[in-house]
Amino acid sequence: MKINDNCVGCGQCTSFCRQGAIVVRGKARITDACVECGICAPYCPVKAIEVPV
Amino acid sequence: MKAIVIGAGLGGLLSAARLSKKGYDVEVFERLPITGGRFTNLEYEGFQLSSGAFHMLPHGPGGPLARLLKEVGADVKIIRSEKTTIRIPLKKGNADYRQGFRDIPFNEFQKPLSHKDRLKSAYLVVSTRKDPPKGSSLQEWIRSQVKDEWLVKLADSFCGWSLSMRSDEVSVEEVFEVIENLYLFGGPGVPMGGCKGITDALEKVITSNGGIIRTKSEVSKILVENGKAAGVVVDGTEYKADFVISNIGHASTAGLCSEVLSEEIHEEYLRTLKTLQPSAGIKICLSAEEPLVGHSGVLLTPYTRRVNGINEVTQVDPSLAPPGKHLTMSHQHVAPENIGKLEEEIEMGLQDLKEIFPGKKYEVLLIQSYHDSWPVNRASSGTDPGNETPIPALYVVGDGAKGEGGIEVEGIALGVARTMEKIPG
Repeated sequence: MKINDNCVGCGQCTSFCRQGAIVVRGKARITDACVECGICAPYCPVKAIEVPV
Repeated sequence: MKAIVIGAGLGGLLSAARLSKKGYDVEVFERLPITGGRFTNLEYEGFQLSSGAFHMLPHGPGGPLARLLKEVGADVKIIRSEKTTIRIPLKKGNADYRQGFRDIPFNEFQKPLSHKDRLKSAYLVVSTRKDPPKGSSLQEWIRSQVKDEWLVKLADSFCGWSLSMRSDEVSVEEVFEVIENLYLFGGPGVPMGGCKGITDALEKVITSNGGIIRTKSEVSKILVENGKAAGVVVDGTEYKADFVISNIGHASTAGLCSEVLSEEIHEEYLRTLKTLQPSAGIKICLSAEEPLVGHSGVLLTPYTRRVNGINEVTQVDPSLAPPGKHLTMSHQHVAPENIGKLEEEIEMGLQDLKEIFPGKKYEVLLIQSYHDSWPVNRASSGTDPGNETPIPALYVVGDGAKGEGGIEVEGIALGVARTMEKIPG
């Protein structure tokens, strides 16, 4: 999972992450708890989450 | 008549509800898997946080949004907040709250002024209603009238909370429209169920009138035929309509029909779009067992580094937090030059909260920032370019096309109401 420069830090992704793996402070940051499930990505309003293919 | 709405944020849902109620065929296309945009709830650790707005309507049950909800038959209960208070230092001359503070009611804002300035401001309260000031920023106007920085601090706090702007960024005309609306419609209120209480009710109106809401459906193009908006393209499929209402702001809307708009005749509109400045802000969500604000209205905090104001919506609707907890949210304006330094801005906000609530126990739940493409307002208050576009049958609603003097969602409601008057049939 990669957060690109579009991120504004709105925290929407955090609320949909089931692993508690996203920390937000001005910008989202993916922690080691991430299992790359990709659930968060479609909820991002600014297309800032890139899911690896 | 068929209407297509782009975006299921508050402006889009309000438009769709109103049109479906009037008998139009309505189809809403939303890019995200959820509806509501920056006006819905986000469930987080048992709390109903919000995707943007503060679970609060600036003019409560008497305002333009409440009126429009009633008109379309949306079943929402909005509770008027009991009061707005201002936290001031115990001793005049203190620059912050560290030596103690007290809270005064908003309508006694003249209290910290000298006797002479109190008389002057009492006179201004009456005279400006008949003859509102024009032609400067709010801050310039205040400084030209009363030489007391208290009023500038209060103005910054009020504008920061309600518009996410500083008093030197907002025109005095816009603020006096806001003040007039406060006289007309009254102060804030909290919708039961938070923002989602409202969007759920609107969706019910839309679907019960036969309207369709499609999530995960991104519009890639606005169809223009014979110079007029004629539908949209979603996932390669064309959907035809008699008119299109866009809830994604003027600039993004123009991006969906750029081929048509690149002509020389639209140069002025395109130039206006480039000058639009979205407003930025930071929301800090707190959880506390004991109330922090202690009432259902707004606590304005003019003597801070950054935090402009705070509300505690669980004073009205305890279901927005787990049993025994309060949800308290602070807002701070972010100046355009500080958008690149959000972490520092957040740090100052957190420091402010420690000084506003000394000795109180609370936990920071989530810190949310808004700017640029997901801002507080797509057009800063007072700069909204209206609801029409150069393309007939294409309208823009939402926080990039608010009505004058309309704070946040009230401005959205005013813009939607105005758009409905222009629609044929």
